[in-house]
Amino acid sequence: MFLETLAGASFRIAGEIGALLLAGSALAGLLVEGAAPHFWRAYLVGFAYFLSLSLGALFFVLLQHLTRSAWSVVLRRLAEGIAANMGLLAILSVPLLLFGLRSLYPWADETLAAHDPLVRAKSAYLNVPFFWVRWAVYFAVWTLTARWFLNRSVEQDRSGDVDLTLRMERASAPAMVLFAFTTTFAAFDLLMSRDPHWYSTIYGIYFFAGGVLGFLALLVAAACVTQRAGRMQRMITAEHYHDLGKLLFAFTVFWAYIAFSQYMLIWYADIPEETGWYLKRQSETWAWVSLALLVGHFFVPFLALLSRVPKRRKKMLVQVALWILAMHAIDLYYLAVPDSGVPALPPHPFYFTVFLGMAGLSVAAAGRCFRTRSLVPEKDPRLQESIAFENA
Amino acid sequence: MSRSTAEAVPALDERIRGEPLVAQGETLASVTETVCRIVEKPHPPRAWYVAFGISAMLAGLLFAMVGYLLLEGTGVWGINVPVGWGFDITNFVFWVGIGHAGTLISAILFLFRQKWRTSINRFAEAMTIFAVVCAGLFPAIHVGRAWVEYWMFPIPNNLSMWPNFRSPLLWDVFAVSTYMIVSLLFWYMGMIPDLATLRDRARTPLRRFFYGFFSLGWRGSNRQWHRYERAYLLLAALATPLVLSVHSVVSFDFAVSLVPGWHATIFPPYFVAGAIFGGFAMVLLLIVPSREWFGLKNLITMRHLENMTKIVLATGSMVGYAYLIEIFIAWYSGNAVERFAFSNRAFGPYAWAFWTMVSCNVLLPQLFWFKRLRRSIPAILFIAVAVNIGMWFERYVIIVTSLSRDFLPSSWGHFTPTWVDLCTLLGSFGLFFTLFLLFLRFLPIVAIAEVKSVMPDAKLDRDVHHGQGDYHGDIPRQHERQFGDPEAD
Repeated sequence: MFLETLAGASFRIAGEIGALLLAGSALAGLLVEGAAPHFWRAYLVGFAYFLSLSLGALFFVLLQHLTRSAWSVVLRRLAEGIAANMGLLAILSVPLLLFGLRSLYPWADETLAAHDPLVRAKSAYLNVPFFWVRWAVYFAVWTLTARWFLNRSVEQDRSGDVDLTLRMERASAPAMVLFAFTTTFAAFDLLMSRDPHWYSTIYGIYFFAGGVLGFLALLVAAACVTQRAGRMQRMITAEHYHDLGKLLFAFTVFWAYIAFSQYMLIWYADIPEETGWYLKRQSETWAWVSLALLVGHFFVPFLALLSRVPKRRKKMLVQVALWILAMHAIDLYYLAVPDSGVPALPPHPFYFTVFLGMAGLSVAAAGRCFRTRSLVPEKDPRLQESIAFENA
Repeated sequence: MSRSTAEAVPALDERIRGEPLVAQGETLASVTETVCRIVEKPHPPRAWYVAFGISAMLAGLLFAMVGYLLLEGTGVWGINVPVGWGFDITNFVFWVGIGHAGTLISAILFLFRQKWRTSINRFAEAMTIFAVVCAGLFPAIHVGRAWVEYWMFPIPNNLSMWPNFRSPLLWDVFAVSTYMIVSLLFWYMGMIPDLATLRDRARTPLRRFFYGFFSLGWRGSNRQWHRYERAYLLLAALATPLVLSVHSVVSFDFAVSLVPGWHATIFPPYFVAGAIFGGFAMVLLLIVPSREWFGLKNLITMRHLENMTKIVLATGSMVGYAYLIEIFIAWYSGNAVERFAFSNRAFGPYAWAFWTMVSCNVLLPQLFWFKRLRRSIPAILFIAVAVNIGMWFERYVIIVTSLSRDFLPSSWGHFTPTWVDLCTLLGSFGLFFTLFLLFLRFLPIVAIAEVKSVMPDAKLDRDVHHGQGDYHGDIPRQHERQFGDPEAD
């Protein structure tokens, strides 16, 4: 309804281009000799990227209900929409689960695993059927949660029933518990088990921190795009951008804190079975990626967001947000790829085509989501407070 | 927001708005009266005397134990080879952890605009200071030769003695002393307006002198309030990283090593969550009797207690998450020693301690999922005591089980506390409660000025306005901006 007049067509075109890019890459991966592993790695990076953003969105929605936040009401529907992209991600996970596992995970290859005592010791957890079961559970939890919160919220647009808010608040706490465990184990499965020998207890939190940071950056960008399209211009104010900027700053530091905790403890203890993971990421061209993260994922946004000014100016904030979104992609490249022993630079073209393909499909999905839904929770009891909110 | 627009907004549903933060019937004057009277009454309630007597005796016991230790040496404790850290470091980590709730309330909840913090932050900050005092004692005495304590600090001296900068034990010295300084500043600065109130009401020259001296000439002018609020915000921003850093550094004491069960990358955030968890349980334990004795039920309402129980539930669940992930990864690592460390915790000679920890920290707080129990005083007290026990045992389990059985079975040992260990632990509670009871008697235990800012009488609770500050003065109207903000484009 809202966006139809503006850009219904552009959403469709984004989706079509995305599908073409993804299908083309898959075809190339299939036909060109030796290209398949590159395709699957690119697919994994793209999938993990968009999954982390939607998980970040889901976390944001749950958190706002859990804390009964008022300031964020005008932004919540956008977050609900991003979280609802979980449906598309569930579809995108199918090829990965069916055809990609053997190429990506050493433990999925029985002959290889049989010769490796360490992998054998974990085979009760790291095996293909159980992996499928787990992912079915994860996606059941995520899609149902995301849908449920979106649908209740949209239902309130029509009825204005305050009880719906109370129901969502009550449901948010148990949903948060489910979210914590599914996200953690999904991170172990999807990324950590790429090197089945390596382990780190903080890994789930690292993935979570990056995902929430990426989502917050996406929310800034999405709010900007929506306002540029002439929507919600009087609803989302400098005050909301200011708060989003503060959260971006906080999660930049939180991500760095978690990354530092993991790195410092492994570096200090210097046990070969743990340091191998970092060694790969500090050798040859991967060293540049590691440094890029240190500088670009932490120092740049940290300094850029320190002052009050850039947080309150949309144009400045959106630049930082886009920078963070790019860094988040590099972070996932850094997490997912080095275990295959391929050089970091130059990245294979698939990383771009697959990524853009998934991005196009996600944009189309967002268009579909908002074709019939309002962009704000129109009758949320705290909407008025949110619109008039200000930082003193 | 102009009044006319505010009136056009339909009144918020009661269930959305929640209970008032200060119970109906209190006025600005009555809040001042309630809080100041506690300090001004010639005699505190009888319960205070009883509690103070017991606490002071226990504090005396602590000093006796420390004296005995210094005369005899650390052999009076149960520590041995291989368990070189016993009650001393367990107590240290326990007490440092307790302090964290105070900093969380005064700094992080402030930045998150949690207005309910105003009634409880003074308590919690005071608790932080006293907990850090208790914590600081233990590393100081565990080195044995307390007279060369200054070697721990990087002081240039003619012995050319330098501490090992690569050791997390030295980082602790910096982390904890920074924490102490910032917490003290925060606590004291927040108290200045209330001290001035006490000064203005003082009847005796002694009171007038002391409250006058410490209120630093506060007059409550607009300019003073403005600077006060800026300083408060800045201190909150500076104290926020401290909430994370102090217990992270404490966790490094263990996690940088190779000892199985100690070396886990999740330790820093896990320790921080545990610290806040234990600290909130302690705040509940202190606040429930205090509001009873001093008639503060209108200021510290059931809503405050319920919010705190929710934080206990949330952080307790985070701690449970960390336990589970640690155990899972110990299995997943495929590392025989790691796997043994955790099965030894659960089924070895210290299994009783492990299961006490799990029941008190993970299972019992889950009762707070029920609203009835979140609002029941006996349930709150019971779980708060349990969490304190559980969090002490958490550190005990981590330290003692891992040290007593490491890589080589030939070097295994067993730790049994001596009577000196037990009396020292008991005595540290005495010191903590003594200091806290003195605070209750002589200082404004609720932040009078801050509480007033969340009352309807302050005329600052405009429905649609909730920002960062406490609004003692006028606020420039900023949100005309939403109608065509030149800055935002």
